[in-house]
Amino acid sequence: MKKIILSVILAFSAAMPAFASSDGIPLDKAPNRLNDLGALQNGAKLFVNYCLNCHSAAYMRFNRLTDIGLTEQQIKDNLLFTTDKVGETMKVSMDPKQAKDWFGGTPPDLTVIARSRSGAGGSGADYLYTYLRTYYRDDSKATGWNNLAFPNVGMPHVLWELQGQRAPVYEEIESHGHTTHVFKGWKQITPGQLTSTQYDSEVADLVNYMQWMSEPAQGTRVRVGVWVMLYLLIFFVIAWRLNAAYWKDIR
Amino acid sequence: MAEFKDISPNAPVADKALNWIDNRFPLSKLFKEHMSEYYAPKNFNFLYFFGVLSMLVLVIQILTGIFLVMHYKPDAASAFASVEYIMRDVPWGWLIRYMHSTGASAFFVVVYMHMFRGLIYGSYRKPRELVWLFGCAIFLALMGEAFMGYLLPWGQMSYWGAQVIVNLFSAIPFIGPDLALLIRGDYVVGDATLNRFFSFHVIAVPLVLLGLVVAHIIALHEVGSNNPDGVEIKANKDANGIPLDGIPFHPYYSVHDIMGVIGFLLVFCAIIFFAPEFGGYFLEYNNFIPADPLKTPLHIAPVWYFTPYYSMLRAITSEMMYALIVCVLAAAYLGVTRAKLNSLLKGLVIGGAVLLVALMLAIDAKFWGVVVMGGAVIILFFLPWLDNCAVKSIRYRPDWHVYLYVIFVIDFFVLGYLGMQPPSPIGERISQVGSLFYFGFFLLMPWWSRMGETKPVPERVNFQPH
Amino acid sequence: MSDNTVDTEKRTWLIASSCAGAVGAGAVAVPFISAFSPSERAKAAGAAVEVDISAIKPGEKLTVEWRGKPVWIIRRTPEQLEALKKVEGQLADPESKRKPAELTPEYARNQARSIKPEFFVGVGICSHLGCSPSDKFQMGPQPSLPDDWQGGFLCPCHGSTFDMAGRVYKNKPAPDNLEVPPHMYLSETRLLIGEDKKA
Repeated sequence: MKKIILSVILAFSAAMPAFASSDGIPLDKAPNRLNDLGALQNGAKLFVNYCLNCHSAAYMRFNRLTDIGLTEQQIKDNLLFTTDKVGETMKVSMDPKQAKDWFGGTPPDLTVIARSRSGAGGSGADYLYTYLRTYYRDDSKATGWNNLAFPNVGMPHVLWELQGQRAPVYEEIESHGHTTHVFKGWKQITPGQLTSTQYDSEVADLVNYMQWMSEPAQGTRVRVGVWVMLYLLIFFVIAWRLNAAYWKDIR
Repeated sequence: MAEFKDISPNAPVADKALNWIDNRFPLSKLFKEHMSEYYAPKNFNFLYFFGVLSMLVLVIQILTGIFLVMHYKPDAASAFASVEYIMRDVPWGWLIRYMHSTGASAFFVVVYMHMFRGLIYGSYRKPRELVWLFGCAIFLALMGEAFMGYLLPWGQMSYWGAQVIVNLFSAIPFIGPDLALLIRGDYVVGDATLNRFFSFHVIAVPLVLLGLVVAHIIALHEVGSNNPDGVEIKANKDANGIPLDGIPFHPYYSVHDIMGVIGFLLVFCAIIFFAPEFGGYFLEYNNFIPADPLKTPLHIAPVWYFTPYYSMLRAITSEMMYALIVCVLAAAYLGVTRAKLNSLLKGLVIGGAVLLVALMLAIDAKFWGVVVMGGAVIILFFLPWLDNCAVKSIRYRPDWHVYLYVIFVIDFFVLGYLGMQPPSPIGERISQVGSLFYFGFFLLMPWWSRMGETKPVPERVNFQPH
Repeated sequence: MSDNTVDTEKRTWLIASSCAGAVGAGAVAVPFISAFSPSERAKAAGAAVEVDISAIKPGEKLTVEWRGKPVWIIRRTPEQLEALKKVEGQLADPESKRKPAELTPEYARNQARSIKPEFFVGVGICSHLGCSPSDKFQMGPQPSLPDDWQGGFLCPCHGSTFDMAGRVYKNKPAPDNLEVPPHMYLSETRLLIGEDKKA
């Protein structure tokens, strides 16, 4: 009977992870560069240059970037845009009224955005990777841009100079008596400074940085965890033998 | 009054110290009564770890909670930021936070397993009814504690989960809206709500929990533990009055429980260090967005441990009310025709049923959903008086009883799973059937538990030496 | 008692368990006790302060905040530096021998109590009960000050006086000289308060 219960439990634990708010297109998988310090540093540079003008990352301290291999001097020389002290956080003060005028609302804080966007469709990095690569020109929008992963987003395509301007190409498919528009691919309207592969790689660096930024302790967590598990396994064996040493008395 | 014992001045220091204490505080006496001379059945199995594991998780939550409160700010404007402060700026704060969030879910896993053990082995039967009642009270307090704790990070799920559940109270006729106002301290969930939930979560409910746990263990030790065979070990004692199938808790179960604790910690630490979010079940993704009173997330679901009850709440639609009315009428009919009642009582049954049906038609299904959800927990309190089976343990029940229990467990899981999904027509049907089964299992137990051929219960427990 | 082999086995595993348990308990204690120490936010708030001293004119004082305390940077005139020698006899601790580790770092153990004689850097908190002394740079007779006053500070709370190197006068309520905080020069015009070369 216990076997039945156990198998039922196992069947359910194989179920999908908890859903998040994922509508829109299926997500591309972002390359995993969380262990690539160079990629993370490049991502930090992109983040500070392109994102911190409007968004804040109010829980991220500049000097925490030493965790990804930068020295405080490097941080001060290259990345300290919004403040003068390396111990400060990445706050940006945008006036909420102006933000509402320009974008329809205050740009959200990005410190833990990667964690908040995880879901059944993919990790937060996957979402951000898809999002930053599916912008297209749309003159019906105030910013002139729309996005496949986040339709009608209020944010413009900040990285457009790198990617260039694109438009999605749809194919009309007749099925079951009605027509559906199926996304087929992209058309490059004007070229960007980077090729498609280069752009994808830059975005990968950026989203990996954001994934790291949403939990800077993750590296330590896993490293400490390995030791803890080893210790507990040894301790378990000891506890098991201790138990056996006493219970052999019981008849 | 115990005698004041003198001890030889030449005795070792440790003995003299212990004697000094024992003359003023029953330390050795308590140790003997509850550990070294408390005789527990020797045939405990895996399910019997979960009591001590519940205590362990309680201690973990209190310890980590104390350290979290040193840095957490219970203010709507700074709560979310203070949690990130703990995660980033406080040395090892991330570990303490993960221990607390995983501990919350672990608490329910462990408590559900502990209750399951009680359910299948009849640990709630006479003379252990009070142990069970204290336990049900602990379960209720734990649900309240978890619910209030969940508001504290002030994320989107925290906020909207609290908003929805507090609004449930407003469904109660007449007093509902005022009651909800009193709970919230404001017209919507806000800073006032956060502050009072903080007070309850940190001190009020933990004190209640500790008191109930102490009562629970004292009641247990008074009557002695049950065992998987449901055999009363006190029925067979040796010449010294020690149960033949009993072994002293210390050292046998203290050592056994150490092994169980380490095994638990292996799983607990694996989650904390390698998957603290646990697929979004232990730390929900939406909760990494600060609470926004103006925007509800697309899918709100309660935390996984509340979802079976949430399913039952959602199952009570106006359609379902008709099914329930039929049940009430059927129960009244059976009561009047089958039971040996005098005319007055029969009259009361009919009158009561008519009144209940009238209320069920008059008051919104929303309210009855709340009643059903609450009732699903309250019905557990009545279990000792619902079970009329001749045997305690599932091992000696008729086979079809066993299948009923299996279906009950599957039902609970299915209801839990459905509670996590967005509503759907099929989901609704299944949860309605599931809820009916859940209540039928308990409410009809006085009759079905009496039926069938039980297997002969042994005099002595089944035990394989190892 | 049971025979020796059973005894030994239990003892072995008891010792092993106790050792493992002690190691575990110690390891678990580390994160909890560390959580008491100053957080990154506290450390950032207490971080060193960089000051541009190029705009201070001789005889002027600039006040900056470091770790919640006022730190004075005074550009002393040649007369004020001369005056330091004249008042030695009236001071309680002219050579800053008292509590040197707390009050006077090595590079300030000189007559001017500073790295550069021209610039005095000191915490503006009276060593009596914590008030901030007022500037009394003007020499000569003034209310509450002696007739041969050579310039310095007067604490308004209980009347303690200090010279232009923060040294306390004799027979005053304050027992000690003003604290010279750790500091260093990053360049001719940039002073860093809160860190020194040894740190």
